[in-house]
Amino acid sequence: MTQPQPIPDTQWSRWEVFKQDAPNRPWQAVGSVHAGDPDHALLTARNVFARRPSAVSLWTVRESDILTATPEELETRPEVQDTPGEAGTYHLGLKRTHKRSMTFVDLVGTLEASGPGDALRQAREAHPDALTWLVFPESGVVRTDDDPGTVESWFAPAKDKTYKQQQYYGVIGKHVGELKREGKMPGRVNEEPHVGDHKVYDHPHDKAPKVQR
Amino acid sequence: MTLSGQPSAVSSQQGTLTPQLQAVLIRKLTALADDEIILAHRGGEWTGHAPILEEDIALANIAQDELGHATLYLDLRRALDGSDADQLAFFRNAGEFTNVRLVELPKGDWAFTMLRQFLFDAYEALWLDAARGSTYAPLAEVAAKAVREERFHLQHTALWVERLALGTEESRRRTQNALDELWPHVAQLFAPVPGEAELVAAGIVPDLGEVRARWEGFVVPHLTGKCGLLLPLTLADAAEGRDVHTEHLAPLLAEMQGVARQHANAEVW
Repeated sequence: MTQPQPIPDTQWSRWEVFKQDAPNRPWQAVGSVHAGDPDHALLTARNVFARRPSAVSLWTVRESDILTATPEELETRPEVQDTPGEAGTYHLGLKRTHKRSMTFVDLVGTLEASGPGDALRQAREAHPDALTWLVFPESGVVRTDDDPGTVESWFAPAKDKTYKQQQYYGVIGKHVGELKREGKMPGRVNEEPHVGDHKVYDHPHDKAPKVQR
Repeated sequence: MTLSGQPSAVSSQQGTLTPQLQAVLIRKLTALADDEIILAHRGGEWTGHAPILEEDIALANIAQDELGHATLYLDLRRALDGSDADQLAFFRNAGEFTNVRLVELPKGDWAFTMLRQFLFDAYEALWLDAARGSTYAPLAEVAAKAVREERFHLQHTALWVERLALGTEESRRRTQNALDELWPHVAQLFAPVPGEAELVAAGIVPDLGEVRARWEGFVVPHLTGKCGLLLPLTLADAAEGRDVHTEHLAPLLAEMQGVARQHANAEVW
């Protein structure tokens, strides 16, 4: 019997994407992309995360340059704070709430550290209540430049576009809204999944209490 | 996807055109829109099939942008003759479409797709850049709006062509094959529609010769210098007009128009 060969990892690197919605707003982690190199990562990030909602700046950071930890992780593995790496300026991100579904971490500033572990230790001291700390070196950031040409072709088009729900796009004939106003729509057209009278899932933004069993 | 937009404010401009210029402008706007519609369909064929999820999203975005540009052109046309964009897109036959043959070729592999999109994006970005100076204000406005997206498309596809050409032996071979196949078709991008010289003389549309010079100044160094590809020594394919198509357009339209034609009177679906 032959031993199974290990399957080589052919995935491109993962890059975390940070988006700034408007000047003077924090960069926020919005998700990740896979890409072969920094330029590709940035272009892909724009396609995936900044085509509709408005943005003014995008950063991508290679996932392997990012060190994260939760309070629980630091308790069980305190040696994370000894993670070695280059000394210099580190960006600090914090996850402070579970409530938001689209953005996970806000970047809150920079600090000088002797390495990523040290940056994490400082982050914990300065923000003891965070749910997660995230640090990465300034040298790892790939940014969109802020020259007018980039801003105009990467971010300006999105400002003219309103985000529309799927049902907006009637293909031929009248838009659903028009038919509704004319009283031609039988019943609801966009019912949420339900069983009997109960929704089958709860949305984190819902105010209503869960159904009692 | 509907191409009908909101009534635009351009109708006040049509009084400034002679009937002759108006007829040629309608022909030109339709040709511009047809290129975008057909290319968008080919791009859309990758949805769910692109090499990685991120590129699936990216190409779908690009295809949607191209369809948006078609909408812009057809809105300009409607202001001139009251035509309906959906009727034009979904109820004309292959013989009535006036797209260039470059955009109707089957989608091929990823190298073919990225290279075709690169060649077209460069043409479109430079044409739009020049069209921002149109004496026909509605077209100048549309060009100023669309050129922004097109510059980004061009960055994306130029990056992909470079990486495929300089990637592995196989990706290089595929990219060169794509160039060999596509290159004979590019000349048609710069062939005017009948009567276009009058539009150029009136400053309504850019001179395609000048656009081509800028296009070659950008595309050729990228392909040969940066990417190390060999330009094929092929003759131009512009002699036949935009009413002559390959055998690939009719099946594409059958797919694209199928639902609309089966449910021509549908009010909602």
